[in-house]
Amino acid sequence: MTVSLSARNIVKRYGGVVALSGANLDVHSGEVVALIGANGSGKSTLSKIINGVVVLDGGQLLLDDKPIHFSSPQAAKKLGISTVFQELSLVPQMTVAENIWLTREPLRKAGFVDQKSVHARTVELLALFEGTYKIELHPDATVDSLPPDEKQIIEVLKAICFDPRLIILDEATASLDSRQVQRLFELVEQWKLQGKAIVFVSHRMEEIFRIADRFSVLRNGKTVGAGMMKDINERELVRLMVETVTATNVGQRHRLATKRSDEFPLRLQVEELKTEVLKGISLQLHDGELLGIGGLKGQGQRDLLLALFGDLPYLGKVKVSDELVHFKHPQQAIEKGIALVPGERSKEGLLFIRSILENLLIPSWKQYGFPLKMHKAHKDGSSISSTLQLKMESLDKEVSSLSGGNAQKIVIGKWLLRNPKLLLLDDPTKGVDVGTKAEFYKLLAELVEAGTAVLFYSSDDEELLGLCDRVLVMHDGKIHSELAGELLTKSNLVAASLGASNVSIE
Amino acid sequence: MNRQRWQSVSFRNPYLFALLLFLLALLVNFIFQPNLFQRSILNSNMRVFLPLILLASGQAVVILGGGIDISVGAIVSIINAILASQLGAGASAEKTLLVVVIALLVGMVAGSINGFFIAFLRLQPIITTYATSFLFAGIALYILPEPGGGVPLVISSFYRDTTPLGLPLGLYIILLILIAWYMTRQTRYGRYLYAVGGKPDAAYETGVPVNTVQFSTYVISGLMAALGGVAITLLTGSGNAQVGDALTLASITAVVIGGTALRGGVGGIAGAILGAIILGLFKNIISFANVDLWWQTFVNAAIIVLALAAPGVINLLRRKRI
Amino acid sequence: MKRITISPPVAAVLLAIVLFLLSGLLPNGYGNNLSVALAQATNIIRLSVFLGIIAAGQTLVIISGSEGIDLSAGAVVTLSAIVTYVIVKGQDGNVIPALIAALAIGAAIGFLNGIGIAYLKIAPLVMTLGMAGVVTGLILVAQHGNVSGAVAPLMTRIIARPVFLGIPGAVIIWIIFAALMWLLLERTTFGKKLFAIGTNRTTSRLSGVNVTGMVLLTYALAGMLSGLGGFLVLGNTGVVFINIGNPFLFPSIAAVAVGGTLLSGGKGSYFGTMAGALVLTLITSLLTTMQMPDSVRRMVLGATLLILISIYGRQRGFRQ
Repeated sequence: MTVSLSARNIVKRYGGVVALSGANLDVHSGEVVALIGANGSGKSTLSKIINGVVVLDGGQLLLDDKPIHFSSPQAAKKLGISTVFQELSLVPQMTVAENIWLTREPLRKAGFVDQKSVHARTVELLALFEGTYKIELHPDATVDSLPPDEKQIIEVLKAICFDPRLIILDEATASLDSRQVQRLFELVEQWKLQGKAIVFVSHRMEEIFRIADRFSVLRNGKTVGAGMMKDINERELVRLMVETVTATNVGQRHRLATKRSDEFPLRLQVEELKTEVLKGISLQLHDGELLGIGGLKGQGQRDLLLALFGDLPYLGKVKVSDELVHFKHPQQAIEKGIALVPGERSKEGLLFIRSILENLLIPSWKQYGFPLKMHKAHKDGSSISSTLQLKMESLDKEVSSLSGGNAQKIVIGKWLLRNPKLLLLDDPTKGVDVGTKAEFYKLLAELVEAGTAVLFYSSDDEELLGLCDRVLVMHDGKIHSELAGELLTKSNLVAASLGASNVSIE
Repeated sequence: MNRQRWQSVSFRNPYLFALLLFLLALLVNFIFQPNLFQRSILNSNMRVFLPLILLASGQAVVILGGGIDISVGAIVSIINAILASQLGAGASAEKTLLVVVIALLVGMVAGSINGFFIAFLRLQPIITTYATSFLFAGIALYILPEPGGGVPLVISSFYRDTTPLGLPLGLYIILLILIAWYMTRQTRYGRYLYAVGGKPDAAYETGVPVNTVQFSTYVISGLMAALGGVAITLLTGSGNAQVGDALTLASITAVVIGGTALRGGVGGIAGAILGAIILGLFKNIISFANVDLWWQTFVNAAIIVLALAAPGVINLLRRKRI
Repeated sequence: MKRITISPPVAAVLLAIVLFLLSGLLPNGYGNNLSVALAQATNIIRLSVFLGIIAAGQTLVIISGSEGIDLSAGAVVTLSAIVTYVIVKGQDGNVIPALIAALAIGAAIGFLNGIGIAYLKIAPLVMTLGMAGVVTGLILVAQHGNVSGAVAPLMTRIIARPVFLGIPGAVIIWIIFAALMWLLLERTTFGKKLFAIGTNRTTSRLSGVNVTGMVLLTYALAGMLSGLGGFLVLGNTGVVFINIGNPFLFPSIAAVAVGGTLLSGGKGSYFGTMAGALVLTLITSLLTTMQMPDSVRRMVLGATLLILISIYGRQRGFRQ
């Protein structure tokens, strides 16, 4: 098979926000092109334009040297373009087999689905990842009962079940463990030999250098560089990805002032915390300490934070400020001085159609009496937004008018008025641009300096290494290791994330 | 592992609750009415239950697809008005057939109107079908301003008395619906339906024609409502533009107690049919239990609310058990 | 469809004015007679009061989001009208107790709605529709004993007659009511939380809002306002009959939609609903003047709502 795809000067706008303003991509049979860019650079948008999910506003797509316009994702699929999505396109209530073959079910005559064929071919596909499953995968298992890595594998199998010509892997390795990634890359090599073209969207350097033949870098919606992988190194790639070198953490540590934490009071004590996912977590956190939580996604980090915040039922002992507590609702946690910055800001942290002011004050309205003293509210809102260096038109504008980074500031900012004693953060810099990240780290440093206890989950190992003195790595619902001081290195973090048994001084 | 298996069993068999309720209702009904299983009584019950069974089947398809149709009662009223006003007691067989076919087409047109606004203009199902329910009710009233009219005696007796092979006509119709449904589930369309109801975004990205699928569910609902309208006209033998009013809530209740959740993607028609029969049995129980006539409306309504509340209560108790 | 740039409440008021001017051109309209026009306008506004207050509860539940709706409003209006009728028995002294009873009954039914919706997770559509059936059943039980009662002269005087400068008492009540609604929505913690839960329940919960409690309170409040509506409707008509509340249900929802309150929740205002109530009352009274049968009224109202939501209510499509 042969295929070639070109994207020339692609433009895409979402309302007032420009996602792409001149993106290019070229990919041919038998090669892997890495589409690289920081969070928010437009990588996902470009891949969604190529597979027909999103309509482009400007520029041109060429398939096999002919201009093409996709009227729907179906149209792109029919032409042999397939995608492994970042946010899964699986229907949770349907089975593995049903999901893999959706819209591509082998049929008997009269339009009936050929169940035997479906089952047999699903088994064949599942065998491609033989040996990398933790729990054996059956074609009739419902998808919502699967762990994230197996869901991702199903997503991959779904993308290849109809023998596509072009495969887009959009952050497809995010949930996979190293064995599974290895197997996936073996499959990629096979696909190259078959003449398929592969677009590998990622920001994981190690994987990019392992599998890609060529690269194309996006920055703020524009393609700023392209070429052969063998002609470039990591430092140069990173420099293409970000605007200023100083904003990156590559190899640097923004070490926050190290104080002897035992001098400070114990703010949080957790003993054998258990939920459906957590199998017994114990930890201690002092005022003025920034404790990091690491590990692969889905190992229970989110559950831990939600349980501490009162949004998830649990068993076990939790003491806040030396007082035994068992929160049944976030309201109770908030009263005790705890704050949570949730993981999905658009779904959990913001009130999109309400004003910036309302978003900032939502936990605090009681302070303003009856009828609400809006004058005072505005004043307080202004002072918070200047502390956050918020770039906005006015406090009364809708939050949806803000950029991603500024919106994330609001999710944190809403707690500032309440002076929390314990701050829980669920991957707060995910999808945030580099400049805002720097501002956020500064704010965090100020809070820690002032004595706030911070529990900080991050999916970014570099971030954990740069900010924390102590990191608890979670694996499979338990704390696998506590890394501090000399033990806190990248390779130890990665090893602990994978559940490796010895963690040595690197 | 045990918990996972129980969850997947109860998840894939939401009919369990409906089945239990059905057996319970059957038992209580039998207590009040010992000749329940006699052929003529069975037949009489079946034909009274049939309109709701038809409606609930159509409603189940819409709800599975992630929507809801609260205009079904009004569609029933339109069909009833058309049949009663156009036929009258002396109509010929050909004319009856013609008018019935027209009525079914009207039902599908009504469904298409719903489908157009919801699937293609992307309006909310509740408010849209609420608006059309008013529109359709007005049309029904316009066609038949006063209760009256009729259908040929020979046709309504056919409905009332036919027992092919000694079994009620209604049973055959249920069988037909179940076969048609089972066959649909074996097609790609059947899977599209569950995908669209389960997670529309995922279905869209996978290339399922979501809008078309949702549109089709409303057309099906309109058709089933029209069939229900035909059934009820044959049952009562006359026309009344308010006849469909109570059926809308009953159809939704039947679907919900039959195990199809309102959010879509789970359940099926079998449960809805069971739910419709259960509601019918409850109505029987109330009238046989000698409940005072003035209280009957209240009791019936209270039972519907309790039936709707039951899954919620069960869930609440399950959740406490962590 | 083109983007609508006029704010919905303003558009609704303009529509109302246009409709009113049209009504003057009708055969038995006011023509060129200014004093008759003024009288008719006053009457329309007065008639809108009742729909406006009943639609207030609807506004609250729709703002609360998650497909909030109150289909029991009509039945609650009827029930509270009957209760008022029976308690007042024509005595001015019984008016306050009757009002309290009407509010209490409405609140109780709304509270039951709230329990089903907030705790048992029953969809608002289904719960309130079911409750409407139960309340109707209760009304039948009460009615079969043949209700006897009467309206107090005090009520008629305040509600139906002009009280100040020729302005009917009902209108003054409405103005005060509107001010209170504005206070509730824009200047209380309840209001802020209501908009929050209508926008995003997860964010609200994670920001400390007791969502379950808010939902319960909102539906109870809506029921109470329907109870108030029933009390006022009775004061206007003077007699009670079994379907007195029904004609208000559909228009109450349409009024909220016309007024521009997002049907998905999280945004809206009572002023919009007021404008919507005006529009709907005008449409209904126009149809009555043209001597259109009830069937035509229903068709027109249904079609109007359909057209309105096509303009205001379109949701995000799948393709962007």
